[in-house]
Amino acid sequence: MPIKPLYDMQLGERIVTLMAALVLVLQIAMVAQRWIVAHIRIFAAQSFFLAAIAATIAWYNHAPHIYVVAALTLIVKVMLVPILFERLVKRVEIQEEIAPIINVPISVVIAGGLTLVGYVVAESFYRPEEPGLGHNALAVAISLFLIGFFTMINRRKALTQVLALLSLENGLFLAAISLTYGMPLIVELGVFFDVLVAAMVLGILVFRIRESFDSMDVSRLRRLRG
Amino acid sequence: MLLVALLLVPVATAAVAFAARRRAVMEAANVAGFGLVFLIAVALAAEVLRAGSVSLADGFFYADALSALVILLTASVTLVCATYAVGYLRDDERSGALGDDETGAEQLAQLRMYYALTPLFVFAMLFVAVANNLGVMWAAVEATTLASVFLVTFYGKITSIEAAWKYAIIGGVGLSMALFGTILAYYAGHRLAGSDALAGLNWSVLASHAAELDRPSMRLAFVLILLGYGTKAGLAPMHTWKPDAYSEAPVPSTAILSSALLNCALYALIRFYILTRGCLGAEYPGRLLLLFGLLSMGVAVPFILVQKNYRRLLAYHTIDHAGIMVTALGIGGALGSLGLMLHMTFHTIAKSLLFLCAGNVSQHFRTDLFAKVKGSVLRAMPLTGVVFLMAMLAIVGMPPFSLFQSEFLILRAAFDGGRVLTGVLFVLFGTGVFTGAVLHVGSLILGPPGEAAVAARRPWRDGSLVALAAVLVIIGFWVPAPLLELIRAAARVVSGQ
Repeated sequence: MPIKPLYDMQLGERIVTLMAALVLVLQIAMVAQRWIVAHIRIFAAQSFFLAAIAATIAWYNHAPHIYVVAALTLIVKVMLVPILFERLVKRVEIQEEIAPIINVPISVVIAGGLTLVGYVVAESFYRPEEPGLGHNALAVAISLFLIGFFTMINRRKALTQVLALLSLENGLFLAAISLTYGMPLIVELGVFFDVLVAAMVLGILVFRIRESFDSMDVSRLRRLRG
Repeated sequence: MLLVALLLVPVATAAVAFAARRRAVMEAANVAGFGLVFLIAVALAAEVLRAGSVSLADGFFYADALSALVILLTASVTLVCATYAVGYLRDDERSGALGDDETGAEQLAQLRMYYALTPLFVFAMLFVAVANNLGVMWAAVEATTLASVFLVTFYGKITSIEAAWKYAIIGGVGLSMALFGTILAYYAGHRLAGSDALAGLNWSVLASHAAELDRPSMRLAFVLILLGYGTKAGLAPMHTWKPDAYSEAPVPSTAILSSALLNCALYALIRFYILTRGCLGAEYPGRLLLLFGLLSMGVAVPFILVQKNYRRLLAYHTIDHAGIMVTALGIGGALGSLGLMLHMTFHTIAKSLLFLCAGNVSQHFRTDLFAKVKGSVLRAMPLTGVVFLMAMLAIVGMPPFSLFQSEFLILRAAFDGGRVLTGVLFVLFGTGVFTGAVLHVGSLILGPPGEAAVAARRPWRDGSLVALAAVLVIIGFWVPAPLLELIRAAARVVSGQ
């Protein structure tokens, strides 16, 4: 006979909610972050909690294919992409500050507002009659998506834009596992492959921008007009 | 079988080109590979016409008339571009545009990149059209961006890197929205029987249960999908990457981007439109499509009127035509869908032809600016000049060319459906584009004779040009019966009638 508390759905929902909250806190920490290397590490930590959420959902729903997704997240987003980006940062010797367009306190307030929007939108998908682990997780997912967008607009450095895009993608990942317990495995594989290749392609582009413009400031990319 | 071969041939081509040590091998691999893809595409079209639809591996791969048409157009354009590229890149190598390495190693690396990435790019586009699973289709659309980013940076100039950055980032953000839309569509159908299996995200399954999908989710999903795949198709206001990427990539790649890739993005959008219409009725998605379609047409007009660079002019022209096609989809119905499919076919031919002509002019005069092309193109390069002018007249919708017919059909569908405002704006924007394009290109080609040298013979490029121009002229008067039947069948898939 299996140990009972380990299959208690209530506990499962609490674990998922706790970890989703951590993911959200890390996303807001990313908005407030001033240093690129710290930004990369926060992204890795956020991805780690996402993998943990996926594993929890896999455990409580007896869905072995979500374990594969969790493992992939661990390999691709917690290890490969951060290592790749940290090496890139060393290689192009940028330790400089991020310099957002809107200052940090106001950015954090905006991120808080976007979280509120996330909760309002998620409410329309909530069906009390359906048992599930994902109610709060969906709200967090939509918030991640929106805050990711905001961060992309708010950043001038090429690499931080890429990180914002990847954290936005983390939001989508969370939405997929909380709404439907993950998409079919082959789709997830395709998405992971694309994320990995995209991270490499964008990394190479960042490197070349840095070489050609002697800066990562994308607001200097303004030769092509009209 | 055909479907697997269709996907394997480009991958094999890329592998051969990547491993090759000599330019001739890469060229031969590309031309032969794309020739084979074209033959397979024709066979697939014949099979689809005979059997209605083809599917493989439990419906993982699925092709109906719509897919077959998109595949056929992609295969035709890439074949012509492959033969054109042979001459184009040899010219680049001679002129030193690929680098000035004495040993030729640098140039060879550049060529290898072009000849290996292009088949991968084509592979991704073909995959979009045969993937039944909407998630896999998304992954394939994303792969088209990833495979083509380094084609945009091909010349390694500062401006190319800027263009590639915009292309990758704007495309990445757009596609993340499309992925969210795909997830929501999966959610909308997750209570249908058998949705846990792989088939739960299959278009053919969802389309047959469209009425039972969750309505609020589909409503949100369609908005996200329209924004996402609309970015890839270059609809305003997400179009800003387009002129940059089109003016920086090598011309054969640009020709593929502006025709085949546009079709793929529209194809993905059409698949979701069919699902949404089945769930929510035609009015909701139709209005959104009309909004973005007319906005794209309207935004393109001022940029075309004041344009200084002829490759950017053609790029804005593609934005205009993406708008026309999305408007036709929004109008919908049997007539609108037929107009859409005809327009997609004709636009693919005419737009790729225009870019190939622009490539000839660009290589001969070494500039992309109207002002710097001294002397008339018609005098320096008679063949290119004639074809350029003809293709320009065709694309702005002059009779007797075929685009007049398709635009007229779309317009008629608009007025028949009681969408008077749409029809009026369509004509208004069409006139603006006509004026701008004819004015600029007319003076480029017919301008006063200058002292520019007369171009030498260029068999690869001119051969491709003449072949495509012949197709453009012929289909203006006579569309072969099987092709017309394929277009009609595709239109029936779109209109659901």
